[in-house]
Amino acid sequence: MKPLKLLALFVIPLGIIIAAVPPDRVKHFRLSADELLQEAGAGVQFVSPDVVADMLVQKDPSLRLIDVRTPEEFDSYSMPGAINIPLSSLLSDEYTDILNQEAYMNVFYSNGSVYANQAWMITRQLGYENNFVLDGGLNYWFGNILSPEAPSVTSPNEEFAKYDFRKSAAAALGGGGVVATEGSATAVKAVKPQVTAKAKKKPAGGC
Amino acid sequence: MGPLAPYEIISENTNFLLAFFIGIAFGWVLESSGFSSSRKLAGIFYGYDAVVLKVFFTGAITCMLGLLFMSLFGWVDLDLIYVNPTYLTSAIVGGVIMGAGFIMGGFCPGTSFCGAAIGKIDAMVFVVGLFIGVYGFAFTYGFWEKMYFAKYLGEPKVSETLGISDGLFGLFMVVAAIGMFAVAEWAEKKFPREEY
Amino acid sequence: MSNNTSTERSRKYLNPYLGGVLLGLVLLAANFVSGRGLGASGAVKSVVATTIEVVDKDATETMPFMKEYAGSHSGSPMKSWLVFEMLGVLVGGFLSGAVAGRLKLKVEHSPKITSRRRLIFALAGGILFGLGSQIGRGCTSGSALSGMAVLSLGGFITMMAIFGTAFALAYFFRRNWI
Repeated sequence: MKPLKLLALFVIPLGIIIAAVPPDRVKHFRLSADELLQEAGAGVQFVSPDVVADMLVQKDPSLRLIDVRTPEEFDSYSMPGAINIPLSSLLSDEYTDILNQEAYMNVFYSNGSVYANQAWMITRQLGYENNFVLDGGLNYWFGNILSPEAPSVTSPNEEFAKYDFRKSAAAALGGGGVVATEGSATAVKAVKPQVTAKAKKKPAGGC
Repeated sequence: MGPLAPYEIISENTNFLLAFFIGIAFGWVLESSGFSSSRKLAGIFYGYDAVVLKVFFTGAITCMLGLLFMSLFGWVDLDLIYVNPTYLTSAIVGGVIMGAGFIMGGFCPGTSFCGAAIGKIDAMVFVVGLFIGVYGFAFTYGFWEKMYFAKYLGEPKVSETLGISDGLFGLFMVVAAIGMFAVAEWAEKKFPREEY
Repeated sequence: MSNNTSTERSRKYLNPYLGGVLLGLVLLAANFVSGRGLGASGAVKSVVATTIEVVDKDATETMPFMKEYAGSHSGSPMKSWLVFEMLGVLVGGFLSGAVAGRLKLKVEHSPKITSRRRLIFALAGGILFGLGSQIGRGCTSGSALSGMAVLSLGGFITMMAIFGTAFALAYFFRRNWI
Protein backbone atom coordinates (compact mmCIF):
# COMPACT_ATOMS: atom_id res chain seq x y z
CA MET A 1 0.00 0.00 0.00
CA LYS A 2 2.90 2.34 0.61
CA PRO A 3 3.58 3.54 -2.94
CA LEU A 4 -0.14 4.13 -3.44
CA LYS A 5 -0.30 6.29 -0.32
CA LEU A 6 2.72 8.23 -1.51
CA LEU A 7 1.11 8.80 -4.88
CA ALA A 8 -2.16 9.84 -3.27
CA LEU A 9 -0.27 12.21 -1.02
CA PHE A 10 1.07 14.02 -4.08
CA VAL A 11 -1.75 13.96 -6.59
CA ILE A 12 -4.76 14.61 -4.37
CA PRO A 13 -3.44 17.96 -3.03
CA LEU A 14 -2.42 18.92 -6.57
CA GLY A 15 -5.91 18.00 -7.74
CA ILE A 16 -7.46 20.14 -5.02
CA ILE A 17 -5.23 23.08 -5.93
CA ILE A 18 -6.04 22.85 -9.63
CA ALA A 19 -9.75 22.56 -8.84
CA ALA A 20 -9.62 25.59 -6.55
CA VAL A 21 -7.70 28.02 -8.73
CA PRO A 22 -9.62 29.86 -11.42
CA PRO A 23 -9.05 28.45 -14.89
CA ASP A 24 -6.38 30.12 -16.93
CA ARG A 25 -7.98 33.14 -18.56
CA VAL A 26 -4.72 34.78 -19.57
CA LYS A 27 -4.75 35.99 -23.12
CA HIS A 28 -1.41 34.79 -24.29
CA PHE A 29 0.64 37.24 -26.25
CA ARG A 30 1.67 35.65 -29.47
CA LEU A 31 3.79 38.36 -31.01
CA SER A 32 6.97 39.70 -29.48
CA ALA A 33 7.39 43.44 -29.06
CA ASP A 34 10.04 43.42 -31.80
CA GLU A 35 7.75 41.76 -34.31
CA LEU A 36 4.94 44.14 -33.50
CA LEU A 37 7.18 47.18 -33.78
CA GLN A 38 8.32 45.99 -37.18
CA GLU A 39 4.78 45.52 -38.47
CA ALA A 40 3.55 48.78 -36.99
CA GLY A 41 6.56 50.61 -38.41
CA ALA A 42 5.90 49.25 -41.88
CA GLY A 43 2.29 50.35 -41.58
CA VAL A 44 0.99 47.07 -43.00
CA GLN A 45 -2.23 47.47 -41.06
CA PHE A 46 -3.51 50.49 -42.98
CA VAL A 47 -6.08 50.03 -45.70
CA SER A 48 -6.66 52.99 -47.96
CA PRO A 49 -10.19 54.42 -47.93
CA ASP A 50 -10.35 53.98 -51.70
CA VAL A 51 -9.91 50.24 -51.30
CA VAL A 52 -12.64 50.13 -48.68
CA ALA A 53 -14.94 52.26 -50.82
CA ASP A 54 -14.42 49.98 -53.78
CA MET A 55 -15.14 46.90 -51.69
CA LEU A 56 -18.28 48.54 -50.33
CA VAL A 57 -19.49 49.48 -53.80
CA GLN A 58 -18.84 46.00 -55.08
CA LYS A 59 -20.49 44.57 -51.97
CA ASP A 60 -17.46 42.39 -51.30
CA PRO A 61 -18.73 39.87 -48.73
CA SER A 62 -15.28 39.41 -47.19
CA LEU A 63 -15.20 42.98 -45.89
CA ARG A 64 -16.30 43.53 -42.33
CA LEU A 65 -16.18 47.05 -40.93
CA ILE A 66 -15.77 47.35 -37.19
CA ASP A 67 -16.56 50.61 -35.46
CA VAL A 68 -14.44 50.92 -32.34
CA ARG A 69 -16.09 54.14 -31.15
CA THR A 70 -18.66 54.30 -28.36
CA PRO A 71 -22.17 52.92 -28.98
CA GLU A 72 -23.60 56.46 -28.94
CA GLU A 73 -21.29 57.60 -31.69
CA PHE A 74 -22.02 54.41 -33.58
CA ASP A 75 -25.77 55.07 -33.36
CA SER A 76 -25.48 58.60 -34.65
CA TYR A 77 -23.45 57.58 -37.68
CA SER A 78 -21.84 54.42 -38.88
CA MET A 79 -20.41 53.20 -42.12
CA PRO A 80 -22.59 50.86 -44.20
CA GLY A 81 -22.79 47.37 -42.72
CA ALA A 82 -20.43 48.17 -39.86
CA ILE A 83 -20.67 46.44 -36.50
CA ASN A 84 -19.84 48.14 -33.22
CA ILE A 85 -17.12 46.84 -30.91
CA PRO A 86 -16.23 49.69 -28.55
CA LEU A 87 -12.51 49.80 -27.85
CA SER A 88 -13.18 49.44 -24.11
CA SER A 89 -14.80 46.03 -24.60
CA LEU A 90 -12.43 44.79 -27.30
CA LEU A 91 -11.13 41.95 -25.11
CA SER A 92 -14.55 40.75 -24.10
CA ASP A 93 -14.99 37.03 -24.80
CA GLU A 94 -18.04 37.54 -26.98
CA TYR A 95 -15.96 39.31 -29.63
CA THR A 96 -13.12 36.82 -29.82
CA ASP A 97 -14.76 34.88 -32.62
CA ILE A 98 -15.19 38.06 -34.63
CA LEU A 99 -11.66 39.31 -34.15
CA ASN A 100 -9.77 36.02 -34.34
CA GLN A 101 -10.89 34.46 -37.61
CA GLU A 102 -9.78 33.78 -41.14
CA ALA A 103 -12.87 34.31 -43.26
CA TYR A 104 -13.28 38.08 -43.21
CA MET A 105 -11.09 41.09 -43.67
CA ASN A 106 -11.85 43.12 -40.56
CA VAL A 107 -11.33 46.86 -40.91
CA PHE A 108 -11.31 48.91 -37.73
CA TYR A 109 -12.31 52.55 -37.92
CA SER A 110 -12.71 55.44 -35.54
CA ASN A 111 -12.96 59.18 -36.07
CA GLY A 112 -9.29 59.54 -36.69
CA SER A 113 -7.10 56.49 -36.93
CA VAL A 114 -5.72 56.52 -33.40
CA TYR A 115 -8.33 54.35 -31.67
CA ALA A 116 -8.64 52.01 -34.60
CA ASN A 117 -4.88 51.63 -34.59
CA GLN A 118 -4.92 50.81 -30.90
CA ALA A 119 -7.50 48.12 -31.54
CA TRP A 120 -5.29 46.68 -34.25
CA MET A 121 -2.21 46.75 -31.99
CA ILE A 122 -3.98 44.81 -29.25
CA THR A 123 -5.49 42.19 -31.51
CA ARG A 124 -2.29 41.82 -33.47
CA GLN A 125 -0.31 41.25 -30.32
CA LEU A 126 -2.71 38.47 -29.41
CA GLY A 127 -1.67 36.91 -32.68
CA TYR A 128 -4.93 37.56 -34.53
CA GLU A 129 -4.72 37.95 -38.27
CA ASN A 130 -6.83 39.67 -40.89
CA ASN A 131 -7.48 42.84 -38.93
CA PHE A 132 -6.79 46.20 -40.56
CA VAL A 133 -7.20 49.90 -39.94
CA LEU A 134 -9.06 52.35 -42.12
CA ASP A 135 -6.40 54.90 -43.00
CA GLY A 136 -7.43 58.40 -41.93
CA GLY A 137 -10.57 57.24 -40.19
CA LEU A 138 -14.04 58.73 -40.60
CA ASN A 139 -12.69 62.27 -40.89
CA TYR A 140 -10.79 61.46 -44.04
CA TRP A 141 -13.65 59.28 -45.26
CA PHE A 142 -16.09 62.16 -45.04
CA GLY A 143 -13.75 64.80 -46.37
CA ASN A 144 -12.31 62.93 -49.29
CA ILE A 145 -14.42 59.93 -50.23
CA LEU A 146 -17.97 61.05 -49.68
CA SER A 147 -17.38 64.65 -50.77
CA PRO A 148 -14.32 64.58 -52.98
CA GLU A 149 -12.76 67.81 -54.10
CA ALA A 150 -12.13 68.17 -57.77
CA PRO A 151 -8.43 68.21 -58.50
CA SER A 152 -6.99 71.33 -60.05
CA VAL A 153 -6.69 71.32 -63.83
CA THR A 154 -2.94 70.92 -63.67
CA SER A 155 -3.15 67.66 -61.73
CA PRO A 156 -1.89 64.44 -63.28
CA ASN A 157 -4.41 62.10 -64.88
CA GLU A 158 -4.39 59.67 -61.98
CA GLU A 159 -5.80 62.37 -59.76
CA PHE A 160 -8.75 62.75 -62.09
CA ALA A 161 -9.31 59.03 -62.23
CA LYS A 162 -9.27 58.92 -58.46
CA TYR A 163 -11.71 61.81 -58.31
CA ASP A 164 -14.07 60.08 -60.72
CA PHE A 165 -13.93 56.92 -58.73
CA ARG A 166 -14.56 58.69 -55.47
CA LYS A 167 -17.49 60.59 -56.92
CA SER A 168 -19.15 57.48 -58.19
CA ALA A 169 -18.41 55.67 -54.97
CA ALA A 170 -19.88 58.52 -53.02
CA ALA A 171 -22.98 58.36 -55.19
CA ALA A 172 -23.31 54.66 -54.59
CA LEU A 173 -22.71 55.04 -50.87
CA GLY A 174 -25.10 57.95 -50.48
CA GLY A 175 -22.54 60.71 -50.15
CA GLY A 176 -22.34 64.22 -51.58
CA GLY A 177 -21.20 63.79 -55.17
CA VAL A 178 -23.86 63.07 -57.77
CA VAL A 179 -22.69 62.84 -61.32
CA ALA A 180 -19.47 61.25 -62.34
CA THR A 181 -17.44 63.06 -64.90
CA GLU A 182 -16.95 61.31 -68.16
CA GLY A 183 -14.33 58.61 -68.17
CA SER A 184 -14.35 55.30 -66.56
CA ALA A 185 -15.15 55.01 -62.89
CA THR A 186 -13.23 51.80 -62.66
CA ALA A 187 -9.97 53.49 -63.48
CA VAL A 188 -8.70 52.88 -59.99
CA LYS A 189 -8.86 49.20 -59.43
CA ALA A 190 -8.81 48.41 -55.77
CA VAL A 191 -6.11 46.01 -54.71
CA LYS A 192 -6.97 43.76 -51.85
CA PRO A 193 -4.31 44.01 -49.17
CA GLN A 194 -2.07 41.01 -48.87
CA VAL A 195 -3.24 38.78 -46.09
CA THR A 196 -0.28 37.16 -44.44
CA ALA A 197 -0.19 33.45 -43.80
CA LYS A 198 -1.14 32.18 -40.39
CA ALA A 199 1.94 31.50 -38.31
CA LYS A 200 0.67 29.08 -35.77
CA LYS A 201 -0.77 25.81 -36.91
CA LYS A 202 -2.67 23.15 -35.11
CA PRO A 203 -0.93 19.81 -34.91
CA ALA A 204 -2.42 17.11 -37.07
CA GLY A 205 -4.47 14.16 -35.90
CA GLY A 206 -3.56 11.44 -33.48
CA CYS A 207 -2.68 7.82 -33.87
CA MET B 1 6.14 29.04 -24.10
CA GLY B 2 4.71 25.83 -25.43
CA PRO B 3 3.72 23.82 -27.27
CA LEU B 4 6.98 24.28 -29.13
CA ALA B 5 6.24 22.91 -32.59
CA PRO B 6 2.89 24.65 -33.27
CA TYR B 7 4.46 27.93 -32.14
CA GLU B 8 7.33 27.25 -34.53
CA ILE B 9 9.84 27.72 -31.75
CA ILE B 10 11.52 24.56 -33.00
CA SER B 11 11.76 23.49 -36.63
CA GLU B 12 9.94 20.51 -38.10
CA ASN B 13 13.10 18.44 -38.18
CA THR B 14 13.94 19.20 -34.56
CA ASN B 15 10.41 18.13 -33.73
CA PHE B 16 11.03 14.79 -35.46
CA LEU B 17 14.32 14.35 -33.64
CA LEU B 18 12.62 15.04 -30.32
CA ALA B 19 9.87 12.59 -31.34
CA PHE B 20 12.53 9.93 -31.58
CA PHE B 21 13.87 10.72 -28.10
CA ILE B 22 10.38 10.91 -26.62
CA GLY B 23 9.74 7.54 -28.25
CA ILE B 24 12.83 6.10 -26.55
CA ALA B 25 11.57 7.34 -23.18
CA PHE B 26 8.10 5.99 -23.95
CA GLY B 27 9.46 2.57 -24.90
CA TRP B 28 11.74 2.50 -21.87
CA VAL B 29 8.91 3.33 -19.45
CA LEU B 30 6.54 0.82 -21.03
CA GLU B 31 9.09 -1.97 -20.97
CA SER B 32 10.39 -1.34 -17.49
CA SER B 33 6.83 -1.18 -16.13
CA GLY B 34 6.25 -4.65 -17.47
CA PHE B 35 4.13 -3.74 -20.50
CA SER B 36 6.18 -6.01 -22.72
CA SER B 37 4.55 -9.04 -21.11
CA SER B 38 1.12 -9.97 -22.41
CA ARG B 39 0.28 -12.04 -19.35
CA LYS B 40 1.04 -9.08 -17.13
CA LEU B 41 -1.12 -6.86 -19.31
CA ALA B 42 -4.03 -9.29 -19.39
CA GLY B 43 -3.80 -9.63 -15.61
CA ILE B 44 -6.01 -6.61 -15.14
CA PHE B 45 -8.98 -8.47 -16.62
CA TYR B 46 -8.67 -11.32 -14.13
CA GLY B 47 -7.66 -9.28 -11.12
CA TYR B 48 -4.27 -10.90 -10.58
CA ASP B 49 -2.15 -8.03 -11.86
CA ALA B 50 -3.40 -4.48 -12.15
CA VAL B 51 -0.20 -2.99 -13.54
CA VAL B 52 -2.00 -1.74 -16.69
CA LEU B 53 -4.60 0.10 -14.69
CA LYS B 54 -2.04 1.63 -12.34
CA VAL B 55 0.43 2.75 -14.97
CA PHE B 56 -2.22 3.86 -17.43
CA PHE B 57 -4.24 5.98 -15.04
CA THR B 58 -1.25 7.33 -13.13
CA GLY B 59 0.16 8.41 -16.49
CA ALA B 60 -3.09 10.04 -17.55
CA ILE B 61 -3.57 11.99 -14.32
CA THR B 62 0.10 13.02 -14.17
CA CYS B 63 -0.02 14.45 -17.67
CA MET B 64 -3.41 16.03 -17.09
CA LEU B 65 -2.25 17.75 -13.89
CA GLY B 66 0.96 18.76 -15.63
CA LEU B 67 -0.88 20.37 -18.52
CA LEU B 68 -3.35 22.17 -16.25
CA PHE B 69 -0.55 23.55 -14.09
CA MET B 70 1.59 24.54 -17.05
CA SER B 71 -1.38 26.34 -18.52
CA LEU B 72 -1.94 28.06 -15.18
CA PHE B 73 1.64 29.32 -15.20
CA GLY B 74 1.31 30.38 -18.82
CA TRP B 75 3.90 27.88 -20.03
CA VAL B 76 1.68 26.07 -22.46
CA ASP B 77 -1.26 27.22 -24.53
CA LEU B 78 -3.99 24.61 -24.15
CA ASP B 79 -5.77 25.98 -27.22
CA LEU B 80 -2.98 24.60 -29.35
CA ILE B 81 -2.87 21.17 -27.75
CA TYR B 82 -4.53 18.62 -29.96
CA VAL B 83 -7.79 17.38 -28.47
CA ASN B 84 -9.00 14.23 -30.14
CA PRO B 85 -12.22 14.83 -32.05
CA THR B 86 -15.23 12.88 -30.86
CA TYR B 87 -17.08 10.75 -33.37
CA LEU B 88 -19.41 8.95 -31.01
CA THR B 89 -20.29 5.92 -33.13
CA SER B 90 -16.81 5.16 -34.36
CA ALA B 91 -15.29 5.73 -30.91
CA ILE B 92 -17.58 3.07 -29.44
CA VAL B 93 -17.41 0.60 -32.33
CA GLY B 94 -13.65 1.00 -32.61
CA GLY B 95 -13.25 0.68 -28.86
CA VAL B 96 -15.32 -2.52 -28.75
CA ILE B 97 -13.28 -4.09 -31.55
CA MET B 98 -10.06 -3.00 -29.83
CA GLY B 99 -11.29 -4.43 -26.53
CA ALA B 100 -11.87 -7.80 -28.19
CA GLY B 101 -8.44 -7.57 -29.75
CA PHE B 102 -6.93 -6.72 -26.38
CA ILE B 103 -8.32 -9.74 -24.55
CA MET B 104 -7.44 -12.08 -27.42
CA GLY B 105 -4.00 -10.74 -28.24
CA GLY B 106 -2.95 -9.49 -24.84
CA PHE B 107 -1.25 -6.42 -26.26
CA CYS B 108 -2.13 -2.99 -27.53
CA PRO B 109 -0.16 -1.46 -30.41
CA GLY B 110 2.37 0.45 -28.28
CA THR B 111 3.09 -2.44 -25.96
CA SER B 112 3.34 -4.95 -28.79
CA PHE B 113 6.14 -2.93 -30.38
CA CYS B 114 7.79 -2.91 -26.98
CA GLY B 115 7.41 -6.66 -26.56
CA ALA B 116 8.67 -7.25 -30.09
CA ALA B 117 11.76 -5.16 -29.27
CA ILE B 118 12.80 -7.57 -26.50
CA GLY B 119 12.16 -10.69 -28.52
CA LYS B 120 8.62 -11.74 -27.63
CA ILE B 121 7.48 -13.74 -30.64
CA ASP B 122 3.81 -13.40 -29.71
CA ALA B 123 4.30 -9.61 -29.76
CA MET B 124 5.87 -9.79 -33.23
CA VAL B 125 2.93 -11.85 -34.46
CA PHE B 126 0.60 -9.27 -32.92
CA VAL B 127 2.41 -6.50 -34.84
CA VAL B 128 1.95 -8.49 -38.06
CA GLY B 129 -1.73 -8.73 -37.15
CA LEU B 130 -1.85 -4.95 -36.66
CA PHE B 131 -0.59 -4.38 -40.17
CA ILE B 132 -3.10 -6.87 -41.58
CA GLY B 133 -5.85 -5.10 -39.64
CA VAL B 134 -4.90 -1.65 -40.93
CA TYR B 135 -4.59 -2.94 -44.51
CA GLY B 136 -7.97 -4.54 -44.02
CA PHE B 137 -9.39 -1.20 -42.97
CA ALA B 138 -7.70 0.57 -45.90
CA PHE B 139 -9.26 -1.76 -48.45
CA THR B 140 -12.69 -1.86 -46.85
CA TYR B 141 -12.76 1.86 -46.08
CA GLY B 142 -15.87 2.43 -48.18
CA PHE B 143 -17.77 -0.05 -46.05
CA TRP B 144 -16.97 1.82 -42.82
CA GLU B 145 -17.01 5.35 -44.18
CA LYS B 146 -20.57 6.26 -43.22
CA MET B 147 -20.17 4.99 -39.69
CA TYR B 148 -16.66 6.47 -39.50
CA PHE B 149 -18.05 10.00 -39.71
CA ALA B 150 -21.33 9.45 -37.87
CA LYS B 151 -22.33 11.40 -34.75
CA TYR B 152 -19.57 13.99 -34.92
CA LEU B 153 -19.58 16.04 -31.73
CA GLY B 154 -16.64 18.34 -32.42
CA GLU B 155 -13.71 18.34 -30.05
CA PRO B 156 -15.43 18.55 -26.68
CA LYS B 157 -13.66 18.14 -23.39
CA VAL B 158 -15.41 16.04 -20.78
CA SER B 159 -15.36 19.02 -18.45
CA GLU B 160 -17.21 21.10 -21.07
CA THR B 161 -19.77 18.36 -21.59
CA LEU B 162 -20.39 18.19 -17.84
CA GLY B 163 -20.32 21.97 -17.53
CA ILE B 164 -17.61 22.11 -14.88
CA SER B 165 -14.13 23.59 -14.92
CA ASP B 166 -11.14 21.60 -16.17
CA GLY B 167 -9.60 21.76 -12.72
CA LEU B 168 -12.65 20.38 -10.92
CA PHE B 169 -12.94 17.52 -13.35
CA GLY B 170 -9.22 16.94 -12.86
CA LEU B 171 -9.79 16.55 -9.14
CA PHE B 172 -12.60 14.05 -9.77
CA MET B 173 -10.33 12.06 -12.00
CA VAL B 174 -7.51 12.03 -9.46
CA VAL B 175 -9.84 10.84 -6.69
CA ALA B 176 -11.43 8.24 -8.98
CA ALA B 177 -8.00 6.95 -10.00
CA ILE B 178 -6.79 6.61 -6.41
CA GLY B 179 -10.04 4.80 -5.54
CA MET B 180 -9.57 2.39 -8.44
CA PHE B 181 -6.00 1.71 -7.41
CA ALA B 182 -7.13 0.83 -3.90
CA VAL B 183 -9.70 -1.61 -5.32
CA ALA B 184 -7.08 -3.07 -7.66
CA GLU B 185 -4.61 -3.68 -4.84
CA TRP B 186 -7.34 -5.46 -2.94
CA ALA B 187 -8.13 -7.59 -6.00
CA GLU B 188 -4.48 -8.47 -6.49
CA LYS B 189 -4.42 -9.92 -3.00
CA LYS B 190 -7.71 -11.70 -3.49
CA PHE B 191 -6.97 -13.30 -6.90
CA PRO B 192 -3.29 -14.21 -6.85
CA ARG B 193 -1.95 -15.99 -9.89
CA GLU B 194 0.12 -19.10 -9.63
CA GLU B 195 3.56 -18.28 -10.85
CA TYR B 196 4.93 -20.31 -13.68
CA MET C 1 2.44 -11.21 -3.95
CA SER C 2 2.22 -14.81 -2.95
CA ASN C 3 5.72 -16.16 -3.00
CA ASN C 4 9.38 -15.39 -3.28
CA THR C 5 9.77 -15.85 -7.00
CA SER C 6 7.10 -13.30 -7.70
CA THR C 7 8.81 -10.77 -5.43
CA GLU C 8 11.98 -11.43 -7.38
CA ARG C 9 10.15 -10.84 -10.64
CA SER C 10 8.35 -7.73 -9.59
CA ARG C 11 11.51 -6.21 -8.21
CA LYS C 12 12.87 -6.13 -11.70
CA TYR C 13 9.98 -4.06 -12.91
CA LEU C 14 9.43 -0.48 -11.90
CA ASN C 15 6.86 0.22 -9.27
CA PRO C 16 3.69 0.74 -11.35
CA TYR C 17 2.96 4.13 -9.82
CA LEU C 18 6.49 5.33 -10.49
CA GLY C 19 6.19 3.94 -14.01
CA GLY C 20 2.89 5.75 -14.37
CA VAL C 21 4.31 9.08 -13.24
CA LEU C 22 7.21 8.65 -15.68
CA LEU C 23 4.76 7.75 -18.45
CA GLY C 24 2.77 10.87 -17.61
CA LEU C 25 5.92 12.98 -17.82
CA VAL C 26 6.79 11.49 -21.21
CA LEU C 27 3.27 12.23 -22.40
CA LEU C 28 3.54 15.74 -21.01
CA ALA C 29 6.83 16.23 -22.85
CA ALA C 30 5.20 15.03 -26.07
CA ASN C 31 2.37 17.52 -25.61
CA PHE C 32 4.75 20.33 -24.73
CA VAL C 33 7.04 19.71 -27.69
CA SER C 34 4.65 18.80 -30.45
CA GLY C 35 1.25 19.82 -29.15
CA ARG C 36 -0.03 16.26 -29.42
CA GLY C 37 0.05 13.13 -27.33
CA LEU C 38 1.69 9.81 -27.94
CA GLY C 39 0.47 7.22 -30.38
CA ALA C 40 1.27 3.89 -31.87
CA SER C 41 -1.27 2.79 -34.46
CA GLY C 42 -0.77 6.04 -36.38
CA ALA C 43 2.75 4.90 -37.23
CA VAL C 44 1.36 1.63 -38.58
CA LYS C 45 -1.12 3.64 -40.64
CA SER C 46 1.72 5.73 -42.08
CA VAL C 47 3.63 2.62 -43.11
CA VAL C 48 0.49 1.11 -44.64
CA ALA C 49 -0.23 4.30 -46.56
CA THR C 50 3.37 4.43 -47.80
CA THR C 51 3.33 0.87 -49.08
CA ILE C 52 -0.01 1.33 -50.79
CA GLU C 53 1.38 4.40 -52.51
CA VAL C 54 4.50 2.54 -53.63
CA VAL C 55 2.50 -0.36 -55.05
CA ASP C 56 -0.16 1.79 -56.69
CA LYS C 57 0.82 5.36 -57.49
CA ASP C 58 -2.74 6.33 -58.39
CA ALA C 59 -4.08 5.07 -55.08
CA THR C 60 -4.15 8.59 -53.65
CA GLU C 61 -6.79 9.48 -56.25
CA THR C 62 -8.62 6.20 -56.50
CA MET C 63 -8.74 4.81 -52.96
CA PRO C 64 -11.02 6.64 -50.52
CA PHE C 65 -8.82 5.59 -47.59
CA MET C 66 -5.77 7.18 -49.20
CA LYS C 67 -7.74 10.31 -50.01
CA GLU C 68 -8.77 10.61 -46.40
CA TYR C 69 -5.20 9.97 -45.30
CA ALA C 70 -3.77 12.58 -47.65
CA GLY C 71 -6.39 15.03 -46.44
CA SER C 72 -5.32 14.76 -42.83
CA HIS C 73 -1.57 14.33 -43.30
CA SER C 74 0.79 16.47 -45.31
CA GLY C 75 4.06 15.46 -46.87
CA SER C 76 5.55 12.03 -47.17
CA PRO C 77 3.73 9.47 -45.01
CA MET C 78 6.98 8.23 -43.49
CA LYS C 79 8.00 11.71 -42.42
CA SER C 80 5.52 11.65 -39.62
CA TRP C 81 5.91 12.41 -35.93
CA LEU C 82 4.49 9.08 -34.89
CA VAL C 83 6.81 7.07 -37.13
CA PHE C 84 9.84 8.67 -35.49
CA GLU C 85 8.28 8.19 -32.08
CA MET C 86 7.62 4.49 -32.71
CA LEU C 87 11.20 3.95 -33.92
CA GLY C 88 12.18 5.43 -30.57
CA VAL C 89 9.86 3.02 -28.76
CA LEU C 90 11.60 0.06 -30.38
CA VAL C 91 14.98 1.42 -29.31
CA GLY C 92 13.80 2.36 -25.82
CA GLY C 93 12.08 -0.97 -25.22
CA PHE C 94 15.17 -2.82 -26.40
CA LEU C 95 17.49 -0.78 -24.16
CA SER C 96 15.30 -1.27 -21.11
CA GLY C 97 15.01 -5.01 -21.80
CA ALA C 98 18.78 -5.24 -22.26
CA VAL C 99 19.52 -3.41 -19.00
CA ALA C 100 17.06 -5.55 -17.04
CA GLY C 101 18.20 -8.78 -18.70
CA ARG C 102 14.87 -9.54 -20.35
CA LEU C 103 16.08 -9.97 -23.92
CA LYS C 104 14.96 -13.43 -24.92
CA LEU C 105 13.35 -14.84 -28.02
CA LYS C 106 10.29 -16.65 -26.74
CA VAL C 107 6.56 -17.08 -26.95
CA GLU C 108 4.99 -16.07 -23.69
CA HIS C 109 1.85 -18.01 -22.86
CA SER C 110 -0.11 -19.60 -20.06
CA PRO C 111 1.11 -23.12 -19.24
CA LYS C 112 -2.38 -24.35 -20.06
CA ILE C 113 -2.17 -23.54 -23.76
CA THR C 114 0.25 -24.29 -26.56
CA SER C 115 2.51 -21.75 -28.26
CA ARG C 116 0.60 -22.33 -31.45
CA ARG C 117 -2.69 -21.39 -29.85
CA ARG C 118 -1.07 -18.31 -28.30
CA LEU C 119 0.29 -17.17 -31.65
CA ILE C 120 -3.04 -17.68 -33.42
CA PHE C 121 -4.77 -15.59 -30.79
CA ALA C 122 -2.01 -12.95 -30.94
CA LEU C 123 -2.50 -12.67 -34.68
CA ALA C 124 -6.28 -12.45 -34.36
CA GLY C 125 -5.95 -9.89 -31.59
CA GLY C 126 -3.54 -7.85 -33.68
CA ILE C 127 -5.89 -7.85 -36.66
CA LEU C 128 -8.81 -6.75 -34.51
CA PHE C 129 -6.73 -4.08 -32.80
CA GLY C 130 -5.43 -2.79 -36.13
CA LEU C 131 -8.94 -2.54 -37.52
CA GLY C 132 -10.41 -1.11 -34.33
CA SER C 133 -7.72 1.52 -33.97
CA GLN C 134 -8.49 2.83 -37.44
CA ILE C 135 -12.24 2.92 -36.85
CA GLY C 136 -11.78 4.50 -33.42
CA ARG C 137 -9.16 6.99 -34.68
CA GLY C 138 -6.45 5.84 -32.33
CA CYS C 139 -5.43 3.04 -30.07
CA THR C 140 -4.96 2.80 -26.33
CA SER C 141 -2.05 5.24 -26.42
CA GLY C 142 -3.25 7.69 -29.06
CA SER C 143 -6.91 7.86 -28.24
CA ALA C 144 -7.47 6.55 -24.72
CA LEU C 145 -4.30 7.63 -22.87
CA SER C 146 -3.49 10.87 -24.71
CA GLY C 147 -7.18 11.69 -25.06
CA MET C 148 -7.80 11.28 -21.34
CA ALA C 149 -4.82 13.47 -20.47
CA VAL C 150 -6.30 16.33 -22.49
CA LEU C 151 -9.79 15.53 -21.14
CA SER C 152 -11.11 14.64 -24.59
CA LEU C 153 -14.62 13.19 -24.43
CA GLY C 154 -13.78 10.82 -27.28
CA GLY C 155 -10.74 9.58 -25.37
CA PHE C 156 -12.85 8.64 -22.36
CA ILE C 157 -15.47 6.92 -24.50
CA THR C 158 -12.85 4.91 -26.37
CA MET C 159 -11.11 3.99 -23.12
CA MET C 160 -14.34 2.77 -21.56
CA ALA C 161 -15.27 0.83 -24.70
CA ILE C 162 -11.87 -0.89 -24.85
CA PHE C 163 -11.67 -1.88 -21.20
CA GLY C 164 -15.38 -2.59 -20.88
CA THR C 165 -15.34 -4.99 -23.81
CA ALA C 166 -12.17 -6.66 -22.65
CA PHE C 167 -13.66 -7.18 -19.17
CA ALA C 168 -16.90 -8.46 -20.66
CA LEU C 169 -15.08 -10.98 -22.84
CA ALA C 170 -12.45 -11.91 -20.26
CA TYR C 171 -14.42 -14.93 -19.08
CA PHE C 172 -14.40 -16.58 -22.52
CA PHE C 173 -10.64 -16.28 -22.94
CA ARG C 174 -9.61 -17.07 -19.39
CA ARG C 175 -7.83 -20.26 -20.38
CA ASN C 176 -5.39 -18.21 -22.44
CA TRP C 177 -4.21 -16.21 -19.49
CA ILE C 178 -4.72 -17.92 -16.15
